Amino acid sequence: FQDQAEQFFRSGHTNNWAVLVCTSRFWFNYRHVANTLSVYRSVKRLGIPDSHIVLMLADDMACNPRNPKPATVFSHKNMELNVYGDDVEVDYRSYEVTVENFLRVLTGRIPPSTPRSKRLLSDDRSNILIYMTGHGGNGFLKFQDSEEITNVELADAFEQMWQKRRYNELLFIIDTCQGASMYERFYSPNIMALASSQVGEDSLSHQPDLGIGVHLMDRYTFYVLEFLEEIHPASQTNMNDLFQVCPKSLCVSTPGHRTDLFQRDPQNVLITDFFGSVRKVEITTETVSLDPDVAGFESKFPEEELATEPLKYAEQLPVAQIIHQKPKQKDWHPPGGFILGLWALIIMVFFKTYGIKHMKHVF
Amino acid sequence: MAAPLVLVVLAAVTVRAALYRSSLAGFIAERVEVASPLNAWKRVVEGLALLDLGVSPYSGAIFHETPLIIYLFHFLIEYAELVFMITDVLTAVALYLAIQDFNKVVFKKQKLLIELDKYAPDVAELIQTPMEMHYIPLKVALFYLLNPYTVMSCVAKSTCAINNSVIAFFILATIKGSAFLSAVFLALATYQSLYPLTLFAPALLYLLQRQFIPVKLKSKSFWLYTVQYASLYLCSLVVIICLSFFLLNSWDFIPSVYGFILSVPDLTPNIGLFWYFFAEMFEHFSLFFVCVFQINVFFYTIPLAIKLKEHPVFFMFVQLAIISIFKSYPTVGDVALYMAFLPVWSHLYRFLRNIFILSCVLIFCSFLFPVLWHLWIYAGSANSNFYYAITLTFNIGQILLISDYFYAFLRREYYLTHGLHLTRQDGTEAMLVLK
Repeated sequence: FQDQAEQFFRSGHTNNWAVLVCTSRFWFNYRHVANTLSVYRSVKRLGIPDSHIVLMLADDMACNPRNPKPATVFSHKNMELNVYGDDVEVDYRSYEVTVENFLRVLTGRIPPSTPRSKRLLSDDRSNILIYMTGHGGNGFLKFQDSEEITNVELADAFEQMWQKRRYNELLFIIDTCQGASMYERFYSPNIMALASSQVGEDSLSHQPDLGIGVHLMDRYTFYVLEFLEEIHPASQTNMNDLFQVCPKSLCVSTPGHRTDLFQRDPQNVLITDFFGSVRKVEITTETVSLDPDVAGFESKFPEEELATEPLKYAEQLPVAQIIHQKPKQKDWHPPGGFILGLWALIIMVFFKTYGIKHMKHVF
Repeated sequence: MAAPLVLVVLAAVTVRAALYRSSLAGFIAERVEVASPLNAWKRVVEGLALLDLGVSPYSGAIFHETPLIIYLFHFLIEYAELVFMITDVLTAVALYLAIQDFNKVVFKKQKLLIELDKYAPDVAELIQTPMEMHYIPLKVALFYLLNPYTVMSCVAKSTCAINNSVIAFFILATIKGSAFLSAVFLALATYQSLYPLTLFAPALLYLLQRQFIPVKLKSKSFWLYTVQYASLYLCSLVVIICLSFFLLNSWDFIPSVYGFILSVPDLTPNIGLFWYFFAEMFEHFSLFFVCVFQINVFFYTIPLAIKLKEHPVFFMFVQLAIISIFKSYPTVGDVALYMAFLPVWSHLYRFLRNIFILSCVLIFCSFLFPVLWHLWIYAGSANSNFYYAITLTFNIGQILLISDYFYAFLRREYYLTHGLHLTRQDGTEAMLVLK
């Protein structure tokens, strides 16, 4: 049972979060919304509740006036699968999906008035799935047709999350053109990244539906959805299988992944570690005593140095001196040449008008 | 005549000083009808503060005054109220002297035409007598100093007062006949706000008249004098602009002042016609309409010059009015300047047709301006259309006033030469109509 108890701590996470972002608006970007909703659907099906999902959709396709089948978003042609369903909770919608809001969600630097549903309240034992889709390029992802997030910003945001202990492990999936450029700059530990295409390649869309008139899904996410449909909460499928999803023959682009920052072997990482919220519950009638040293928790803090005399505030910053010192006014004076020229002109005009004979009265 | 003038000046100064000390000064200084982005006092102070901090005042879009104003106020900023009161007094005195001289000229010309028998026999009642013309200069000074528009403009410390004073000196110089001084003052006025350029034509016509040079396109002396005057004017303008360069060692002031006046980027509401149009216009049309609106100011010069060749001072009055109606950022200070001239044409009263309605329109609109502004901005129960309606009505009132005076003037001239009782060919009474 010791072993079994140790298995409790195998993956190191206790809760799951998902941040699903669709960054494109307009009707012809239907497929990006469908992509995001497919992942949302899978993630919810596998157990992550709405309270742990931050869903950001930049436009409303289900209620778009151009949607011939209102209140639906289909992912398969012939309208086989409605990923919108009855139970979609969109947290950031329409113009709220901005780079600033996305970064605030990730880093947690959110104004106090933000409702809970819009916050990513993860802790250092959370596994977070971040899925992004939209239009992108080499090093950037376009938000709302007017701004971009760069791979550097994203990497820095993840680093902030790491430093604030906001995740245990992070899975980053991106389905855009040249998506691999977005994970090139990550430098924080415990991040695994997947992308639908390499730098220089475009991610292609899957099938158009002639009834709806737009492409319904992107290829990569379509095949990921097909893959996820076969996962159930107890499946033991691991990440290596996810890396094989959508080979070049089906996807036309080459999906990429990055695992160098991840500490565990992808072989040992279950799909449900990120896509589901699998509670590790084992019912037993026997007592298991946990060795306090079992996790190998070491004191990370070095011994404190001798405490020096605390510095008083005033000594560190001479406030009194600063506030009583008036800024030295550097007065501006008109240049001498100007004054000379102006008065010379005035005197010339005066004497031209009144004649030179007045000169002797002046002097 | 000095004593009544001094009394008037004292009264005006008292009124202004009283208003400066009262709490109304702050309120008036903020009114958009009195302070436009071009001449607000707040912006002058801001520009000078920027200079003290080592930044060029033209670097932002706040300061649109000329460098000479910077120089003037750099030393006089603590005495600003005194400066503006003195400016107003100077303007009034200049107008007084100018109109005095003008009356002499008018009277001389009238006498000449009577002796030459150019007038019809029955127009005795239309001839101006020295008695009635005696008090006109005082009335002009009075009209200028005690006009509520001028008082408000002075209390708000809007630099429009300085512009008015330069134009008044220009008029004085022109009527005295000194081409050099008039060119210099016109250059100063143009340098400050671009539109007095159109006053070149009436000044030229007046000076030609004074030198007895007939205005004929073939006449050599006409062209010679025109070229002389134009070159004096242009040279002084160039000299002043180059001198301003040396104040801040940069040409920044040219786009800030003239570019601003011509391209109208700031659409703060004022009593003019530009702001509303350009607020609702699409970007790709704005250049076209800016050109159209600006041409509108300069457009009336040539036709008026042709029609009012013989009467350049009236032409100047009409031109001043056109400038203050159609300029890009008019304020009530500009209106006050041409209204000061109305006593000069008081003999036209019998020919004015709509004077009651027009004065009612102008007075009502002046009172409605703050009301509708409050309703639009503070109460929120009106919108910009209401305020623009009052602006439009005010400008229509002004335009009708000018055209009424124009028509009355021409009618009087016609009656003078053709007699008061006009008859048609069959002997019935005829009516004079302006076509």
